[in-house]
Amino acid sequence: MIRYFRTRQAALTPLLLLMPAIVTMLFVVALPLVFSLWTSLTPYRLTRPETIEVFIGIRNYVRIFTDDDFWAAFGRTILFLAIALNVEFLLGLGIALLINKITWGQRTLRTIMMFPMMFSPILVGFQFKFIFNDNIGILNNALQSLGITDQAIPWLVDGRLAMFSIIFAEVWMSTSVFAILLLAGLFAMPRDPLEAARVDGCNAWQVFRHITLPFIMPFAFIAMTIRSLDVARAYDIVQVMTDGGPAGRTELIWTMLARVGYENARMGQANAMAYVSTILSVAFTYFFFTKLIAARRYMGGAE
Amino acid sequence: MSAISLSKVVKAYGKLEVVHGIDLQIAHNEFVVLVGPSGCGKSTTLRMIAGLEDITDGDIRIGDRLVNDLPPRKRNISMVFQNYALYPHMNVRDNLGFGLKIAGQPPRVIEERVMEAAEILGISELLERIPAELSGGQRQRVAMGRAIVRHPEAFLFDEPLSNLDAKLRVQMRTEIKKLHHKVKTTVVYVTHDQVEAMTLADRIVIMKDGYIEQVGTPMDVFNHPVNTFVAGFIGSPPMNLIPARIAGDAVVLSDDVAVPVPDRLKAHVSDGMAVTAGIRPDDMTPVGHGIHDTDQMAAVELTVELAELLGTETLIYSHLAGHEVQGKMFDPRDVAEGETLEFRIALDKLHLFDAQTGRSVRAG
Amino acid sequence: MSRALKRQLRAIGLWVATFVLMVIMCVPGLWVVLSAFRPNREILAKPPIWIPENPTLNNFAKIFGIGDAQVAIPVLSYFWNSMVIAMTSTIIALFIGMAGGYAFARFRFRFKNSIFLGLMLFRAVPGIALSLPVFILWSRMGLIDTQMGLIIVYVSLNVPFTIWLIDGFFRQIPISLSEAAQVDGCTRWQAFWKIEFPLARSGIAAAGVFAFLTSWNEFALASQLTRSTDSKTLPVGLMDFTAQFTIDWAGMCAMAVIIIVPALILTFLVQKHLIAGLTFGGVKG
Repeated sequence: MIRYFRTRQAALTPLLLLMPAIVTMLFVVALPLVFSLWTSLTPYRLTRPETIEVFIGIRNYVRIFTDDDFWAAFGRTILFLAIALNVEFLLGLGIALLINKITWGQRTLRTIMMFPMMFSPILVGFQFKFIFNDNIGILNNALQSLGITDQAIPWLVDGRLAMFSIIFAEVWMSTSVFAILLLAGLFAMPRDPLEAARVDGCNAWQVFRHITLPFIMPFAFIAMTIRSLDVARAYDIVQVMTDGGPAGRTELIWTMLARVGYENARMGQANAMAYVSTILSVAFTYFFFTKLIAARRYMGGAE
Repeated sequence: MSAISLSKVVKAYGKLEVVHGIDLQIAHNEFVVLVGPSGCGKSTTLRMIAGLEDITDGDIRIGDRLVNDLPPRKRNISMVFQNYALYPHMNVRDNLGFGLKIAGQPPRVIEERVMEAAEILGISELLERIPAELSGGQRQRVAMGRAIVRHPEAFLFDEPLSNLDAKLRVQMRTEIKKLHHKVKTTVVYVTHDQVEAMTLADRIVIMKDGYIEQVGTPMDVFNHPVNTFVAGFIGSPPMNLIPARIAGDAVVLSDDVAVPVPDRLKAHVSDGMAVTAGIRPDDMTPVGHGIHDTDQMAAVELTVELAELLGTETLIYSHLAGHEVQGKMFDPRDVAEGETLEFRIALDKLHLFDAQTGRSVRAG
Repeated sequence: MSRALKRQLRAIGLWVATFVLMVIMCVPGLWVVLSAFRPNREILAKPPIWIPENPTLNNFAKIFGIGDAQVAIPVLSYFWNSMVIAMTSTIIALFIGMAGGYAFARFRFRFKNSIFLGLMLFRAVPGIALSLPVFILWSRMGLIDTQMGLIIVYVSLNVPFTIWLIDGFFRQIPISLSEAAQVDGCTRWQAFWKIEFPLARSGIAAAGVFAFLTSWNEFALASQLTRSTDSKTLPVGLMDFTAQFTIDWAGMCAMAVIIIVPALILTFLVQKHLIAGLTFGGVKG
């Protein structure tokens, strides 16, 4: 009897320890998500509170899925993420390899790299709004002073340039995540397989392609997972830099749902959009997290 | 009364049973070594004695107390871990005194006991260092020191030497033996290394797949292995095991190789019985290069396939009745590969196992 | 070309690349910081003036409402709100995260991986998407424009990642240390506080800093759940400067410095442990 009790207790300990975390997440995230799901099935407007009780089925979803503007914002979001993440990964890899080669001041460089990561996204947005400003921005100012151009380049006013500018800001802020984790991977890399490959006749590219890259991929997945947890930080940047403009050319799904929900007060429809964006983020995180788990498994074999 | 007693102890993780109801009595001040290949359940058994694993069924007693449901701290034992488990943030003195401090001993007593333990282990100069500043051997000593300061009822050692290099391992082995002579206490020691087991143990417990295969003194398990597993596990190089058949008074290894059944085993075998013949390399020696002074010898001819020179002896690899065997040449001379030598097998050292059960024919 | 020359060229190339990289990384932030200490006239000067010629603290004085400032933005209350909210949510998240991280690092239990994944997926919900239902619910509970309302949200925002990091730190500590302590006479609770906690302390501090900065920097939720000086945080306050058609660049820069400096100091203090925590938790399964 006593033994039975003890084993039961041992099985309960971890659940007891996890209870506060689970309760918090259920109360602050899961519960609102359920509520959000309900709201997305109503024509709820902030200005007319009673509308939250009207059930309209999936009409909000039908409406946003037949709305070209929504699809444009959705596609733009995917494009934005695809470009930003790929550039961040490649740039991060390049930076990691570069710093790995440097023998002097390595740690200082690594510390400097951490800083953009810790910047408030709203601050990054503001900073680049300031720098890219066509009139008083330091970038145009410098380009003109150097005689590269004599006109003010409308960085945030032209649709394409504005998209470029927000991607630039996003990449500036987040490349460090990749660089730092990939660098940690390179530091952790054992010498033996590298030397074995070289003895086996691999050239520098082959060594990188077949030995180094597979070894640091798990670290890339960690970075991807961490990044995927807060891709929506881009909302802050876009919000302050362009607020979706000019003429909706940088409207992402996040800025769109904020506009519909808070400015137009159409909470029902906004919640439907929020659900789409949530599924997007969750799918994204799930994908990289399972990749990370899979990569972990073969890392375990190498040890 | 035993110092530690296990009766019908079972360990299962969910449906997977890893220790199958083992019984073991350990006497006061006895040095018992649990040995076996990895996964045999020896470490699990030790951890159950320590209280670090719950037991699924059966009883464990330490002294006269039933400890089944006692947490480790109430069992009055101490343990040396494979990776030493020294507290990295404490210096050697605090590491040694930690258990006493937790027990609420006055500082004077702690100091006294720490000094005593440090003295015994020769680490008095290291007391102010932290573990990171110690060599492997020194860490090992501190770990043992931490075990002895508390004057526990028993020491448990979990593969304590496996992280040391070969030379240090031999050295620490002797020190553990000496320590046991100095600090008379019950010891349960786990290792996968049968040499360690042979050199340290008062009694060896050989385990495999969660069962105890044999318990006995080192000489006992060496000279009288109860089955082919023990025969192959204890002794290095391992015993040659060759399938054979009993025909009258002969052990027939193959059509052209047969040796007589030794007198002492005659009563245990029957005509036509399928057996496994066990011959230790030390007992199969070229004429004039043996160590046995006996008349009961059988002669076989072996062709040298490979000779390993070890200095005082040469290990000879060959085939006997179609099976790879090793013989030993003591006081060696040069031998060439392909050379055929006449070997003598010491019949009073010949082992016979029932081919079906693997058990020694003497064990019945 | 000789080998030595080639090697030298490569070294130079390496340095140039690193230099360019660092310039791109540092200059934007540096420009903001420098601009915070100079008059508007100098910010707008063409060609640009890099090093402030007339360094001044006027911009700071202005946003704090000292002297002849006409528009005072309540920076002090924003700062106070940010501090209280970030500190409180961090401390709570740390306790919850420590319990959870320890459970993941030290116990085997059913659905372990699923629970971990579930926590991470909850964290992945975009802040702005979450803000919609939370906004509605919080209004009904009277939590809008309160420090408490934001603290609760930030705790949940920080718990998953704190668990990830702390799990990693505890996993670095061999389990045999806790076992040794238990054999030495500790209860599991004592073994935790006397052995495992001190060893994981710097890692836990790093997790705390990370949580603090997440709360300190958060905007999407804060911008919707706060209204006034009762609860507005610094990032939300930053938008005060853009409320009019003209943007007070100098004031904004000064405010930016106030947000950046604590972040930079904290990052600098724990950067080493932070990297270790991320990689250990992630790679060693």
